[in-house]
Amino acid sequence: MDVTVEVVGEERHEVSVGSEGTYADLLAAVDLSPHEVSVLVDGRPVPEDQRVETDHVKVLRLIKGGSASSPDGSESR
Amino acid sequence: MSLSLDSTQLDRYSRHIIMDEVGPEGQQKLLDGSALVVGAGGLGAPVIQYLAAAGVGRIGVVDDDVVERSNLQRQVIHADADVGIPKVESAKKFVERLNPDVTVEAHETRLDTDNVEELVADYDVVVDASDNFPTRYMVNDAARIHDVPVAHGAIYKFEGQVTTLTPDGPCYRCLFREAPEPGTVPDCATTGVLGVLPGTVGCIQATEAMKLLLETGDVLEGRLLFYDAMDMTFETVPYRENPDCPVCGESAIDSIEGIEYSGGCTIAD
Repeated sequence: MDVTVEVVGEERHEVSVGSEGTYADLLAAVDLSPHEVSVLVDGRPVPEDQRVETDHVKVLRLIKGGSASSPDGSESR
Repeated sequence: MSLSLDSTQLDRYSRHIIMDEVGPEGQQKLLDGSALVVGAGGLGAPVIQYLAAAGVGRIGVVDDDVVERSNLQRQVIHADADVGIPKVESAKKFVERLNPDVTVEAHETRLDTDNVEELVADYDVVVDASDNFPTRYMVNDAARIHDVPVAHGAIYKFEGQVTTLTPDGPCYRCLFREAPEPGTVPDCATTGVLGVLPGTVGCIQATEAMKLLLETGDVLEGRLLFYDAMDMTFETVPYRENPDCPVCGESAIDSIEGIEYSGGCTIAD
């Protein structure tokens, strides 16, 4: 199956996965880790280990910051 | 609500008062309203600045940090002479100079499971200007339990994300169910951040907070606004309530008791 992987704020990728391919496989194909993103299908996140059943996903990266003062991640932004 | 704007306030807020969408009634709502700003850093600074200027009557500021010189490139409410003093104290001092109508409640503490619910429930709206996942998830969970809307923002290098979590819309966990393990996502302290970026993102959060207090306009409910300062583009990403969400789904929690806000901030099934 050919799937359009739209990474928000970045590029659009066309990825081919087999019939058993998962969303994690899509992420691996665009060099992203499941730890740092949410894969959205029709506005809802899907589990990364689920089989791909759509031809278009949006991938949203989780960002941490509010501009911290210290690298240890202490409270302040 | 009784209108009690005095002549000084009629002057100060005249540009609000002449607008149909705000008017004297809206200005009174702002003066009677309250906002909890979680974090007095890059995002929190413009939020505090604009909410105070707009006359939001009671602003709580939570932060346990002190002003550092490296903050001053972007944290515009703090000045060189404030280096070394608590950020909440510096924020309070800033607002006192700006607008005598505003009371700042300085909470020099780190949000934790013992204080978050009481703090969040005491305000009309929460602005999440935090920089760490435990606080972000704690604020989301506590605000949802207490039906308090949250104007959320996050930044990284040249990009920002803003969304508004209303009691009737999807929550942050509908979008990102769990936090990533520590160290897997870089932060501004290690990668840097364009000084003006939190200004742009924080101003959008302040806009959302004001609309919530005014009960007007369409907030970013079920929409995440993605801002790329390098390309100067905005993109809206729609998202929906997740029926399996542990915080607002069909088996929603009614307390944060027992949730471990470290690592993935996971809520056990």
